[in-house]
Amino acid sequence: MSNAILTPPASSLQAQAAASQNPHLRKIRDLIYQVAGILQPDHKLQFLEDRCRRRMQHLNVSSLNAYYDCLTLSAVRTEEMKELLNEITIGETCFFRNAPQLDALRTVVLPSILKNKSHLAYRHLRLWSAGCSTGEEAYTMAIMLLQEREGALKNVAVEIVATDLNLRSLEAAQAGIYGEYALRNVGPAMRQKYFTPAGDRLAVKPEVKSMVKFSRLNLVDDARMTFMKGMDVIFCCNVMIYFDGVVRKRVVQHFFNNLLPNSYLFVGHAESLYGINNDFHLVHFPGATAYLKGQTRVGGGA
Amino acid sequence: MSQARERIERKLAEIGSLPTIPTLLVPLLQHLCEPAEDVSIDRVVKIVSQDPSLAAQCLRMVNSPLFGVRYAVETVRGAVMGLGVNRVRQIAMACSLLKAFPARSAVGVRALWAHSLAVAMVAEKFAQQAGYAEPEQAYSAGLLHDLGILVALTACPDEFEKAAEAASREHRALYLCERELNGFDHGEIGEMLARRWQLPGPYHHALRYHHEVEQAPAHRCLVAIVGLCDILCRLRDLGYGFEEIGFVDLAAEPAWLLAANELPKMRDFDLARFTLELDAFIAEVEQSVAALFELV
Repeated sequence: MSNAILTPPASSLQAQAAASQNPHLRKIRDLIYQVAGILQPDHKLQFLEDRCRRRMQHLNVSSLNAYYDCLTLSAVRTEEMKELLNEITIGETCFFRNAPQLDALRTVVLPSILKNKSHLAYRHLRLWSAGCSTGEEAYTMAIMLLQEREGALKNVAVEIVATDLNLRSLEAAQAGIYGEYALRNVGPAMRQKYFTPAGDRLAVKPEVKSMVKFSRLNLVDDARMTFMKGMDVIFCCNVMIYFDGVVRKRVVQHFFNNLLPNSYLFVGHAESLYGINNDFHLVHFPGATAYLKGQTRVGGGA
Repeated sequence: MSQARERIERKLAEIGSLPTIPTLLVPLLQHLCEPAEDVSIDRVVKIVSQDPSLAAQCLRMVNSPLFGVRYAVETVRGAVMGLGVNRVRQIAMACSLLKAFPARSAVGVRALWAHSLAVAMVAEKFAQQAGYAEPEQAYSAGLLHDLGILVALTACPDEFEKAAEAASREHRALYLCERELNGFDHGEIGEMLARRWQLPGPYHHALRYHHEVEQAPAHRCLVAIVGLCDILCRLRDLGYGFEEIGFVDLAAEPAWLLAANELPKMRDFDLARFTLELDAFIAEVEQSVAALFELV
């Protein structure tokens, strides 16, 4: 038996404090923020270190300092950054992933959008899950909107558009069958109401499915992006992190152009559009943020 | 002055025993609010040593797992060096204020302390990043900004609770509900206490105007920083323990516009990143508040 097992484990706070002191880790954190706009705050540095170590083991690199060089100097730095980002965002996809964000959508965003449309005889709501992967986010929106069907959304036509580049993901999304991992935030009542058993997994019911339209779209395809007009809400979570700054600017500009006045763009919970776009402005909800396209275009920064 | 002011004065006179200023607070505010490089360790050690419970608190904190020191710290000097001036200041101010306002009505006092501590830490960070010349002063102003609530909890707990309930129920700002129901708000009460205690001028304004920055006659940058950080904390699980804000467009807040106009580094201020970084404070604030309440 090795001695290491007998040493008491460091408390998590201690480990957290140690990680937040590590200058190489902070450098890697800042690099990720700079290239991908995704931030690991101080209390998440321990997590970041774990993910870096996984990659270091794979590359046979022994120090964080040397791994930083892999991310900045090596010939495969771009690929390595993608691998690391994959490690960081892996397992992020599930139903009802970001509760504060969804609360903001339900309690503030949708009522505000509907109020702005109250003068219209025919009210229509268009939401877009951009980079929908295997469909959890889009179906979450559908379930949330179904719950409001007898309330705020009475007499409102709702359309959810979900797009992804990856055909295999889209096939899985269209099949709409999910295992326990994807359903970990879904309680028994909701499972009963919106899902049916499919072997040892659960399938979304047809009424949920019929609300979502899946299609293949490359967010970088300028020609097709111009046709995604008339959006009220866009969710684009952990997708833009794989684009470089120039492409990200272009994609976000498309989002801006495709949104109606008084509408919102939601990004991943650790994502930021700082330096990417000045037309949107950042607004705050309890525990969440979003980017608002205002009533009239405001030029420049705040 | 206004009728409301007379009412509070009467109210404060009624209870007769408005807390006297904690003896430590004056030297602490004067000395520890100076830029960190001007603060002498010897003087801090002296101030801390004057108060046995404060000294004990510092020793307990420095030996807690949060700091992960490998050997036991046994002297006040060791504790001050290990904790750093900032944390000593935090402990000392909170300790002395907690003694002045014993938590007799348990109503959210703990949440209020957590909130005050959070605003202090966030305000200091904001001040540093936005280029405000005195981040230490922003810290102290943040810690003290809701002093008026502590007074209200002591002086008129029923009235205050009614206002807090209304704010929570209607998701409205607390100070507006206080004004509507009681005719005065915690800003006004806080300012009156600050005057009575003869705290330095900038704190009067931070206490009084943090919810209505544009009304502040002076020290508006400090007031704006406290006001903004107060909002940010209330939105990131570092609030009063009840929900009152649903949506904020900071860019449209008078406090933001004022800070943007007057602080040198606001042009490049990354609000998205700053917001995400706040979440790292939650555990630290909880830990500090737990430690504080354990001792007092």
